[in-house]
Amino acid sequence: MKPNSLTHKRKYIGIERIQARWGIAFVIPAILFFSLFSFYPILNALYTSLFDKRVLSLLPPTFMGLGNYIYLFKSADFWNSVRATFVFTFGTFMPMVVVSLAFAVFLSLVKNKKVRGMFQIAYYTPAVISSVVAAAIWLLIFDPRGLGNQWVNFILNTPGVDNKWLADATMVQLSTMIVYFWKYIGYFIILFVTGLSTIPSSIYEAATIDGANPWQSFWRITMPLLKPTVVLVSIMAMLQCLKTFGTQYLFVQGGAPRAPINVITLNIYTTGIRNQRIGRASAMSIILFIIMLIFTWVQFRTSKSEEVEY
Amino acid sequence: MKKSIIVLMILALMVPALFAQGAQEQQGPITLKFWTHEDPNRTRIEEKYILEFEAANPNITIERTTQASTKLIELVQTAFAANAGPDIFNLSIEDEFAYIANGRVAPIDPKVIGYANTKALLDTYMDGILDPVTMDGKIYGLPLELTNWCIFINKNVFKSAGLDPEKDYPKTWEDMVKISQKLVIRQGDILVRRGFDFRYPYYLVAFLPMVEQLGGQLISDDGKTAIVNDAAWLKFLTYMQQWGPSGLNLGSPTYKNARSLFNKNNNDIGMATTGLYQIGRIKAENPTFYDSKEWMVVPFPVFEGAVKDVAASFYGHYYMVNAQSNKATQDAAWKFIAFMLSHAEEYLTEVSLIQPTKALMASAAYKNVPYSEVFTKDFERGHIVYYGKSSSEFQTLIRSAVESVMLSGVTPEKALATLKTAAQELLDEQ
Repeated sequence: MKPNSLTHKRKYIGIERIQARWGIAFVIPAILFFSLFSFYPILNALYTSLFDKRVLSLLPPTFMGLGNYIYLFKSADFWNSVRATFVFTFGTFMPMVVVSLAFAVFLSLVKNKKVRGMFQIAYYTPAVISSVVAAAIWLLIFDPRGLGNQWVNFILNTPGVDNKWLADATMVQLSTMIVYFWKYIGYFIILFVTGLSTIPSSIYEAATIDGANPWQSFWRITMPLLKPTVVLVSIMAMLQCLKTFGTQYLFVQGGAPRAPINVITLNIYTTGIRNQRIGRASAMSIILFIIMLIFTWVQFRTSKSEEVEY
Repeated sequence: MKKSIIVLMILALMVPALFAQGAQEQQGPITLKFWTHEDPNRTRIEEKYILEFEAANPNITIERTTQASTKLIELVQTAFAANAGPDIFNLSIEDEFAYIANGRVAPIDPKVIGYANTKALLDTYMDGILDPVTMDGKIYGLPLELTNWCIFINKNVFKSAGLDPEKDYPKTWEDMVKISQKLVIRQGDILVRRGFDFRYPYYLVAFLPMVEQLGGQLISDDGKTAIVNDAAWLKFLTYMQQWGPSGLNLGSPTYKNARSLFNKNNNDIGMATTGLYQIGRIKAENPTFYDSKEWMVVPFPVFEGAVKDVAASFYGHYYMVNAQSNKATQDAAWKFIAFMLSHAEEYLTEVSLIQPTKALMASAAYKNVPYSEVFTKDFERGHIVYYGKSSSEFQTLIRSAVESVMLSGVTPEKALATLKTAAQELLDEQ
């Protein structure tokens, strides 16, 4: 009995090891990819952020410790970028999560498959357009003589009013949010639709038998059971918003004022590429990385305490 | 297994460093990577020169790549940062100077391009033209073009507003406001036709001279103070505030660039600031408008009571050669550049680009270009654009100040205070 059980144990460990090896083999490409394109740049940026390094200089960069970080924390320009990033992020991702959820629920109520498919394609199409093309389209819309003013003036019956989509500090921030919202909402709708489809219909049937109306079903069944998807979507939306660059860059190229929409990524570009201060730009990117890490951690923490299972 | 993963990760981290190694020695046939900005008229003649040069030098192949001028600035810099810059490139001098200052471009060996010495090369060009690319007695670039801007006028637009373009054209910036108010057509607040509008990204070329007319300076003569003469800067910023949508609403950076609209002659714009090359572009894009002669060129205006008569600064695009290319490649690159630039008259007549050699400026070809005398006189009133290690950053700061008064409701006083602090900090860091 004893030798038999030992043999059995050895066999069991062997299979586990073999499985683990295969697992590692499958994971290695991802690790290599991550190491090359994420881990290495992060470490490199962290290292570079400790130096006064100019892009074109062939001289060895001067070590300045935390000098770049100290400079940034004292810089009004950097704090303006932090402000612009937070205004954009909270002004975009919160409405995006709420509205994409509302649209997803609306889609789930549409029974005709063809009509539902048509809506899904319509919502998702902007997500496949590149940021550059999207911003170029919206630059035309926001031109003073473009469709933006024409639509708003037609609806509000205010002919000739220039809403200064790009020529006003507040409006240009709103304009970047509109573009981003339009572009990415379809993507998050698809995620919510997928989340909604995982909720068993038997729960709704039971609730209906028990006398629950659609409103009660939504708040008592859909929302709690959709929580993992809401957390996923809100984290993804927030991280995307924190990394926003293309729209702001193209709007500035199109003549919009830089300061109101000078998000951290745009400031990194200006500092590193235009002004050639790669050390300072690296410090900014590390700060942005830390901000993203903190927000993700906070969202995970706040969502974990109320997990629901069925 | 763990060890092998660690080894793999270390190798993965090392791979980019291996790829980022510098210049490679080249033997045998030479391939020249030549990056330049888009200009269809120039592409046509330069591709012809490439074929001729390759036929005469069978061991040399030239790969010419074009990009939008703003994109090229980033591409060249990123390539140089990775030690993989092109063999030949050109940018505007305010963007190019950093390449000289950082030792990234190779000096010309005059003998390689057929000159006895540096002095002979210098003597070929108008006085001072090679100053921006000369350091420690060595020349690091040859001008593809030297450009100054005057004011192009659409006579049809003037006539439609009851003005005589020959007499009523703006001589001062105050005139520019008055005339623009007459030429402008609005639908409510929206400008359907602008009288004139500025070229907004080019703050060092066309805006700084306006400040200089009022006695202001970007950098003091001793090089220690940035943003000199508050009164001049304030007057300039107030002028721009009044020009913008929150002031007299005569123009804005958010409208389509005036220079591009000018050629179309579709009643969008009355006047635009641009260079001699615009003539070639009008001819190519709208020959009917070109032939109609319903356009003219007048000098760059000055402020009333200006303390200095300064025209728009002239700027140069200089062809440069990568210092990390090997010597044979560098020599081949300079030979090819010299070959292209030996066709100065064709660049002028086909592309309207001025390569300011003494011979060209004295030639009948130059004198026969319409309005060339206006550009020549403005050359004499102007100076080379500000260039230095941080010229691009200074331009960004002036841009922020102008945008803040025009578009963000910031007062000129506050914009000036911000500009002064930032510019001084930048100067002190140099």
